[in-house]
Amino acid sequence: MNRLNSTSGRLNRLLPWFLPVVSFLSWFAVSESGMVPTYLLPHPKDVLAAASTYIFSEAGQGSHAGRFFEDLTASTIRVMSGFGLAVVVGIPLGIVSGRVALVNGMLGMTVNALRAVPGISWLPLAMVWFGIGLKTTVFLVALAAFFPIYLNAEAGARQVSPILLQAGAMMGVNRLRGTFAILIPAAMPHIITGLRLGMGISWAYLVLGELTGVSNGLGAVIMDARMLGRIDIIVVGIILIALIGRLCDLGLHQLLRLSFKSARRMP
Amino acid sequence: MTTRLRIVGTGRKPEVAPVVLEIQRLSKRFGTHGSGDAGVLKEISMKARRGEMICILGRSGCGKSTLLKILAGFMPPSSGLVRLNGNPVSRPGPDRCVVFQEDALFPWLTVRENIAFGLKGRKMDRGEQQREVDRFVSLVGLTDYGDYLPQEISGGMKQRVSLARVLILQPEVLLMDEPFAALDAQTREEMQNLLLYLWEKLSHTVLFVTHDVNEAVLLADRIILFEKEPGRIKKDIKISLPRPREKSTEGYFAHCRSITSEIR
Ligand SMILES: Nc1ncnc2c1ncn2[C@@H]1O[C@H](COP(=O)(O)OP(=O)(O)OP(=O)(O)O)[C@@H](O)[C@H]1O
Ligand SMILES: [Mg+2]
Repeated sequence: MNRLNSTSGRLNRLLPWFLPVVSFLSWFAVSESGMVPTYLLPHPKDVLAAASTYIFSEAGQGSHAGRFFEDLTASTIRVMSGFGLAVVVGIPLGIVSGRVALVNGMLGMTVNALRAVPGISWLPLAMVWFGIGLKTTVFLVALAAFFPIYLNAEAGARQVSPILLQAGAMMGVNRLRGTFAILIPAAMPHIITGLRLGMGISWAYLVLGELTGVSNGLGAVIMDARMLGRIDIIVVGIILIALIGRLCDLGLHQLLRLSFKSARRMP
Repeated sequence: MTTRLRIVGTGRKPEVAPVVLEIQRLSKRFGTHGSGDAGVLKEISMKARRGEMICILGRSGCGKSTLLKILAGFMPPSSGLVRLNGNPVSRPGPDRCVVFQEDALFPWLTVRENIAFGLKGRKMDRGEQQREVDRFVSLVGLTDYGDYLPQEISGGMKQRVSLARVLILQPEVLLMDEPFAALDAQTREEMQNLLLYLWEKLSHTVLFVTHDVNEAVLLADRIILFEKEPGRIKKDIKISLPRPREKSTEGYFAHCRSITSEIR
């Protein structure tokens, strides 16, 4: 029994790596065989070399050399500002509209209509309003992350069992404490889902915002590389964004678990 | 250590104790669904004296839960009045606590934290709060389970926690809505004994809703028999069997039989 558990535990830990490893191996095999020309799909070893130059070399030693940390900082600031904005607006608004029919009636239709607009259609408007750079990117990220955060907070607050709130009321809990000690913890699983979805989408819209011609950032590097025909750098950019996005998700989840009992103790 | 407790001696005489809870001509009808014009509750009047254990007994759907919700302040009556120590009640409060039939513990708090929940925000220093929590955790026999989460303990234990978290607030009236209905026979018996033990120790007034005649006869000083459609009081039966009550005595069976025939 124990043995079985530990085997399946190990399997569970290895399972997520199955697809990445298989993809990498097939990529390697295809490149080695020479079936696909390198200007369409660069060889893994060239990508590795480009990545190493991009991350570790001194600036100036070849194109993009050593730019990684500057790009990472710029992009992270943009993502965090946009995401933070979405959190600050989305969570309170979501919770209130999950509990107060009047607010939900007022916001619901508009939010759902706006949600149907693809983020990319906001891009031209954002460029007119904010020009190219930080503000446009932050606007796009905030807008995109707002919807999952708001909608999940709203659903979470709406679905809180009335019996928990009644239990609080009978124990003499006032509205303010009820909100922070009962409503938010009870809605926490939904809130977390919204935050994680929002974080994921933030990175997607970051790249969109940076494709418009800003000078630094991970999205800008990808766009730059396309102009220069450096497909290896494009692949490096894609892989780095995937990695960083995953790390952000893990970090966010861990942070929430550290900060809230309800995040730690409920599935 | 027991300074916060009101101990009632063995010589309790509920019939001369002051009236705590008074229900005056209380009626309830809901909108359009189900209940029809007759309403769910019609002209309920009754009194509960301090320290009394009253069982409300009736068939499913006769409005027992509805009455309890109104008493707790979760919903208003259509007409009539509820008074606690002479003052009309209109909203929930820690002087009338409910033990719900379903699981109403906070799943993100441990047993101890659930029990301490109502004390937070009271004028009481942390040490004193912790001592009170310790005392109530041990009163309901959960000393070894203080750090467990609700999802990690059994249904019977959850009801122990539900009991402790409201008893710690020293409510004037304890409202219990079929609290043991979902438990197996043995656990239910344990919980009934626990309730009686705590009731002897702490002098709260209990309104206990049940549809189980045996349970009512075991627990009650008075049984209020409800009839259906509309829900109203059919009979108010005094049970003067000596305590502790044995389930095998002739007197016990006689009461069960006569009440069962009333319900039919
Ligand atoms: N919120 C409500 N809206 C409309 N009708 C309701 C509502 N709550 C209860 N009722 C009706 O009131 C009647 C009594 O319900 P109640 O839950 O009080 O019965 P009960 O005696 O507690 O039954 P049980 O023993 O099955 O718990 C039922 O017919 C039910 O349909
Ligand atoms: Mg009921």
